[in-house]
Amino acid sequence: MRVSFPYMGTTVVYKKLLELLGHEVIMPPKPSQHTINLGVKYSPEFACFPMKVITGSYLQAAELGAEVIITSGGHGPCRAGFYEQVHRRILKEEGFDIDFIVFNSMFRDSKQFFKNIMKLKGNSSWLKVGQSLFMVYDMIRKLDKLEKRVQKIRAYEIKKGEATRVWDIIQNQFDRANCKGSIQKAFYDGSQQLDQIKTYNVNEKEKMRIGIVGEIYVVMEASINMKMEELLGNLGAEVERSQYLSQWVAYNALPAFINQTHEVEILKKGEPYIPINIGGHAKQTVGHIVDYSQRGFDGVIHLMPFGCLPELVSQSIIPKISQSLNIPVLTLSIDEQSGTANSLTRVEAFIDLIKGKRIKKIS
Amino acid sequence: MKDFYIGIDVGSVSTNIVLIDEKCDVHYSAYIRTNGQPLDSVKKGLKDLQSTLQQQANIKGVGTTGSGRQLIGTMVGADVIKNEITAHATATVHVVPDVKTIFEIGGQDSKIIIVDNQMVIDFAMNTVCAAGTGSFLDHQAERLGIPIEEFGAMALKADRDVRIAGRCTVFAESDMIAKQQFGFSKSEIIKGLCEALVRNYINNLGRGKKLEPPFVFQGGVAANLGIKTAFEKEIGHEVIIPKHFNIMGAIGTAILAKEYIGESNTKTRFRGFETTDLSFQPSAFECGGCSNNCEVIKVEMDSKVVAMWGDRCGKWTNSL
Repeated sequence: MRVSFPYMGTTVVYKKLLELLGHEVIMPPKPSQHTINLGVKYSPEFACFPMKVITGSYLQAAELGAEVIITSGGHGPCRAGFYEQVHRRILKEEGFDIDFIVFNSMFRDSKQFFKNIMKLKGNSSWLKVGQSLFMVYDMIRKLDKLEKRVQKIRAYEIKKGEATRVWDIIQNQFDRANCKGSIQKAFYDGSQQLDQIKTYNVNEKEKMRIGIVGEIYVVMEASINMKMEELLGNLGAEVERSQYLSQWVAYNALPAFINQTHEVEILKKGEPYIPINIGGHAKQTVGHIVDYSQRGFDGVIHLMPFGCLPELVSQSIIPKISQSLNIPVLTLSIDEQSGTANSLTRVEAFIDLIKGKRIKKIS
Repeated sequence: MKDFYIGIDVGSVSTNIVLIDEKCDVHYSAYIRTNGQPLDSVKKGLKDLQSTLQQQANIKGVGTTGSGRQLIGTMVGADVIKNEITAHATATVHVVPDVKTIFEIGGQDSKIIIVDNQMVIDFAMNTVCAAGTGSFLDHQAERLGIPIEEFGAMALKADRDVRIAGRCTVFAESDMIAKQQFGFSKSEIIKGLCEALVRNYINNLGRGKKLEPPFVFQGGVAANLGIKTAFEKEIGHEVIIPKHFNIMGAIGTAILAKEYIGESNTKTRFRGFETTDLSFQPSAFECGGCSNNCEVIKVEMDSKVVAMWGDRCGKWTNSL
């Protein structure tokens, strides 16, 4: 099968898994202005921003010859659950007859989940499937470890942009790795390269740490969130995201009774503010803000797609959390209309606010 | 020889230039219409400033702010290039040290800044729309055929209240016309508009924020008495308008430049008043290196490239 998938975050891992299972992968281009333009043109006006960008991605992948698109479903009352249906129709209207394989949590509809696995399995043996899954999970974890280091180093690098460049190289190295040994080597090489980046020595006390929370797509995909991580890094702040692929996989792959992942803890922390599941990542958003404040972070950037219902709910609760936990939060809503200059002003002012809070004056 | 600092605020509607001394007292200020020509208006302002200066003045530092801060900062050789929020708050805290809430309404943006203990603790800026800013009033004043300078005072002459839909500038217009048919006078309509603007502002920016006195109202729109009154009515408290309400951003960035020079003990990068004679040529081109097709801005000084920005990947920015 010629398969493709939505472009989000460290895409080499999805690509790797599908390749290991013997499929031909059609890599969707990294979302660019062209992708956004395409998506906006063919999506309903009131659809949320991620849906529009993904429409653009799919259209580009379809043009490159994709036959099947693999994606995740949504759970809870969020529009993401309908994406696949809408996308299917949009693609059909544009003359692309594309099949979708939608993965929901296996505990919700295990039959469908199994069917999907069978489709993906193709001619590979079960042993091969198991091995591939473990290998890719190992890869995700290693990549996430390195990325977390990149997000710290970036704040202090002497030559601006070096950490980002090394991060691109690391992803390429992982892309070429296809056995346990070569993954280990890619990890080792990556760590070495990161060690070699020259940085300023900054006093532990003067370090600034900022968490990014919000809807998963705008949090994870740098090309549509004004490269928020790089922006914050260049302004001298260490960054941590609320979403990492390895966390997402661990949380969604384990049954509830043995699920001890970080995410479970996060959800609990958010429960005083949003007790029930309202869809999307609203519960995680508030949970992570609580978590970041407990871990002594200096501030939180909350990213939401313009008009995202779950995040609108969390946005209206945030002032209360921010006040009671004494952690500054800046909400930025993102869509095709948002002007970078305007957002940049806010982020800069937000960093000033954090610095000012430390030295007890406006800086 | 006396030391001075220059602050330049390049906004969408006006360009403001101030000169302050070591005590942050304002010695010169100019409020110039930008008219879409930020470079020319700054040059004009600097020329004017130079002609009023005595011989022995020494410029120790320069700060820029406003939406044109980067370009102008490059042109004049600024020591500090700051966002408007920090700049405004700095100036206000200097003038009203115990300020808690700052309302700032400019030509195309409006902000609310919450201050505690002389620190910014929260802020909000208008996002998607310019209803509720100076341009909105400007437009309506033009509609009603009243000079914007007299607009505010007229609101105070109103006898009755009228509620005008102020969510959208265009819809406000149709509502205004409807209300005029009902026999409301011009001054009543203006009062209604002022109240609509304030209501819109508080609903949009003040949402979820605790607004505590002292309140300071600044920005060009603070000249409008009608808006001040509407604010006081809406929040039920007196609102302070600082003496230099319309140039606070420039004052703030000048103060920041002063602090920066003082703390870092460096010499200013100010290119001198002679820059006004140099030819500055900003131009934009589409990169085309990838499908992002970024619009890259290039600034040339006497045909030498001095700054580039606007590219997402940093290819051009880092090329200098």
